[in-house]
Amino acid sequence: MNKQPMLLDCDTGVDDAVAILLTKYLNTLELKAVTTVAGNVEVEHTTRNTLQVLELVGMEDIPVYRGAEKPLLCEAVTAHHVHGQNGLNDMTLPKPKREAETLPAWDAIYEFAKKYEGELVVVAIGPLTNLALAIAKYKELPKLLKRIVIMGGAAVGGNVTPSAEFNVYADPEAADMVFTCGAPVYMCGLDVTMRAYLSAEELDEIAALGSKQAVFTRDVMQGILKFYRTYKLAGVAFHDPVTVLYADDDSYFQTDFAGVRVETKGRLTRGKTVTDLYSDKQIEHNAYVVTRVDRDIFKKRVFEILAKYGK
Amino acid sequence: MTNQAVKKIPVILDGDPGHDDAIAWVLATASPLLDIKAVTSVCGNQTIQKTTYNAGRIMTLVGLNVPLAMGRVKPLVADAIIAPTVHGNSGLDGPALPEPANKPLDIDACTMMAQVLEASEEPVVLIPTGPLTNVATLLLLYPHLKNKIRHIYLMGGGIDFGNWTPAAEFNILVDPEAADVVFRSGVPITMAGLDVTEQALVFPEDFERIRAVGNPVAKVVAEWLDFFYGFHRSIGYPGAPVHDAVAVAALIKPEIMTMVDMYVEIELTGDYCRGTTVGDKLGVLGKPANAHVIMGIDRLKFVDLLVEAAQHYGKEA
Repeated sequence: MNKQPMLLDCDTGVDDAVAILLTKYLNTLELKAVTTVAGNVEVEHTTRNTLQVLELVGMEDIPVYRGAEKPLLCEAVTAHHVHGQNGLNDMTLPKPKREAETLPAWDAIYEFAKKYEGELVVVAIGPLTNLALAIAKYKELPKLLKRIVIMGGAAVGGNVTPSAEFNVYADPEAADMVFTCGAPVYMCGLDVTMRAYLSAEELDEIAALGSKQAVFTRDVMQGILKFYRTYKLAGVAFHDPVTVLYADDDSYFQTDFAGVRVETKGRLTRGKTVTDLYSDKQIEHNAYVVTRVDRDIFKKRVFEILAKYGK
Repeated sequence: MTNQAVKKIPVILDGDPGHDDAIAWVLATASPLLDIKAVTSVCGNQTIQKTTYNAGRIMTLVGLNVPLAMGRVKPLVADAIIAPTVHGNSGLDGPALPEPANKPLDIDACTMMAQVLEASEEPVVLIPTGPLTNVATLLLLYPHLKNKIRHIYLMGGGIDFGNWTPAAEFNILVDPEAADVVFRSGVPITMAGLDVTEQALVFPEDFERIRAVGNPVAKVVAEWLDFFYGFHRSIGYPGAPVHDAVAVAALIKPEIMTMVDMYVEIELTGDYCRGTTVGDKLGVLGKPANAHVIMGIDRLKFVDLLVEAAQHYGKEA
């Protein structure tokens, strides 16, 4: 079976790193390029981390394009307290053997969209600045894409504020541009990603698979695990990895077509992905909102893929 | 049992009837636990003239002979929004009702609330089931009476969703500034928002249980439900969410509900979120809780409560 071409846009980030590990052995998608953006940490870090993690999994042939260093309009927000100073829980990986390409991320997105016209799946797991810039520069871009799958937002609740999820909060204007761009947008928000968690014990079981990639998965998630404990959660949410898995195979998820707009002006609600999923009032439907996952199958897929790295 | 144990709780009913306000008041009037001191009207589901007239009609129907005072003609700051699609042109369409036996007093709603609080030996419970305009005005004008308010049981908001907009519930959306005053007041609040009230569904077969009680009040309640369900059926509901009655039930039957203490703040700005009750479920703000937010209800026991309330008004016509 021919796999669909995928471009991953990320702010690597501890769970972005695990998402990259998973891209190597997907069933229906083949990673063609990675673009980086400021988010969890600054873009210098996210770019270096991306190069390092690709080397860790032996995917040095995948081109990496550096993207936006700040959001479209607002000041940057970071999450060093969750991801560490370097964005990889302050683990040290070997210095990357190569650098990012010279082409900026937004141009790369367009070039790959043209190359794989109608086929490219963009999986965006950081703030949506790069995609918004690409949409702003290339008006035909949305029509060239197969779909956009994002980790971001929430039909209900938030994490960085009571009503906003980090990636959308970090660049709300960019997110609204993506939701209204016309390409099919799939939102893996907190509604589903908080249900795709693994416990401390399950992380240890992953490490016991034995490969350096599996051990890295356990170790890189330790800081964020502590952070989640402060909210008395059962484990650590695999926000970005589950989004990649959803893009690969949606058969064990529930998805509902809904209207989604991003609040950009609210004093308390800036960055909220306002959805009409549970309200009487309906707005124009423009997005597929992922609301449920079978956690057992999710867990099985993570183990299956990481087991492929051998001992 | 001592006298203390059966002492009634003094309450003021404040609402914008409205079918579900009306049913809430039927429930409150029937309860042996409550001593209703006064009724105040507020603009919301319909104009203040219509909600006040409806309040008088409901009071006459259920034999509630207490003072009624009319609220402000509009919300504190915002322009009025009304809901004729849900409650009809009168604000209480459906069965014929008696004309009000008494006129509203000449004083306005918040002045009467203040008089009741001042006259009461013990703190009084407020049960607002419409926009919070009157309660906020009371708090702004008579801050010294705050400690005479024992608790506010309100219907409004929704932590997880809205109804009038995707993010805001009608009562809060109509007067967000008033809601902000109330949620910041420090008075204990129990919030019956959409999280619970959309679970407080009364199905058509439940209407028949109420109708079968047979007295005039029961028959009218069943017909209100018939009308109220019409709108909700048209948007896909399997029953009528009797929102406002949950606020009364939270006072007289809290054991049939689940509640979570939470910090709740009102969004006053935004393109999509004005009127949103922002609830800090995860506790990311680290602020102390200011509301008991009801998140669940035993639907069958809620229906039983309504049937028992209907029975209070006699067996047969």
